[in-house]
Amino acid sequence: MIEQIPHILVLLGLIASAILTYYFKDLLAATLAAGLFSFLISLEFYILQAPDVAISQAAIGAGLTTAIFIIAIGATGRFEGESS
Amino acid sequence: MSRIVRTAADIIYPFILIFGLYVVAHGHLTPGGGFQGGAVIATGGALVIVAYSYAEVREWLSKNVLMGQEVIGLVGFIGVALIAFAFGQVFFFNYLNASGSLFGIPVPYGINAGELNTGGFVPLMNFSVGCEVWGGLTLVILYMLSGLEKEGC
Amino acid sequence: MKKMIVLFTSLLILSAFLGVMALTFTFGAPKMTDMDDYFLRFGQEQTGTNNQCTSVTFDFRGFDTLGESTVLFCAVIGVALIFRKMQAGEEYEDE
Repeated sequence: MIEQIPHILVLLGLIASAILTYYFKDLLAATLAAGLFSFLISLEFYILQAPDVAISQAAIGAGLTTAIFIIAIGATGRFEGESS
Repeated sequence: MSRIVRTAADIIYPFILIFGLYVVAHGHLTPGGGFQGGAVIATGGALVIVAYSYAEVREWLSKNVLMGQEVIGLVGFIGVALIAFAFGQVFFFNYLNASGSLFGIPVPYGINAGELNTGGFVPLMNFSVGCEVWGGLTLVILYMLSGLEKEGC
Repeated sequence: MKKMIVLFTSLLILSAFLGVMALTFTFGAPKMTDMDDYFLRFGQEQTGTNNQCTSVTFDFRGFDTLGESTVLFCAVIGVALIFRKMQAGEEYEDE
């Protein structure tokens, strides 16, 4: 039971970061919340003993996808309905 | 970005490169493999691209070299699998395993220490896929940044 | 306000469901294990790799990795086509 506490905390953090991604009006903050979601899900994969998937999720989800989203936000606009 | 970010990116980038190549080369012994190692190296490339501007990065990274790297990776992957026909075997047969040549030391069943010179054609596959993912994912970010420069932002 | 109450109630039910799942079901104890037993018993001798994940993805299931590489290649080609360099008199086609 005591070793499940980090697992439960990671699951609650996943739900919280997903809600934050949905509710932020600032798209840059929403992108950073999505990066936090990706990092937490890679931690979850590591807890479930799948280090292969954890490495690829941490590199692609938390690194490259966030960079691509930030580049796209820089090219368009920071808030919804705004065209730079 | 500021001078602090550029200096930190200069210092960190060789370590990310070496770690990614380690993940690729030890793909048949430790967790990881070609795709994961290539993604780690591409993340280091994204760090350098973000720290510097596009005009500076364009002089260091050539799009033709990256595209050629990707093509060599995919063609090498299929070619290594096709060589199995020369040995009279089916497609994707592991012809180098336990052959005594390159990567050909036989592995016993059970827990063992691991030897880098094992694995048959799996290390060759790892290098091919790592080369392809490295080129491809760096190329995606470079192309997106070039589109941003063209819009004049 | 009513939407928020509905949302948080459904999230509470979902988190309780996930908590029960994480506490009762154990990972690593599947029911059908014929293929797993074969891979774990003969994978080391037949492919020469200590990492069984790599021996499955690159040797036993090599066609999957071939398809994955092809998908990545096609995705990068698509990005390169969208952001390609325009010629001097060339313009984007409008609707």
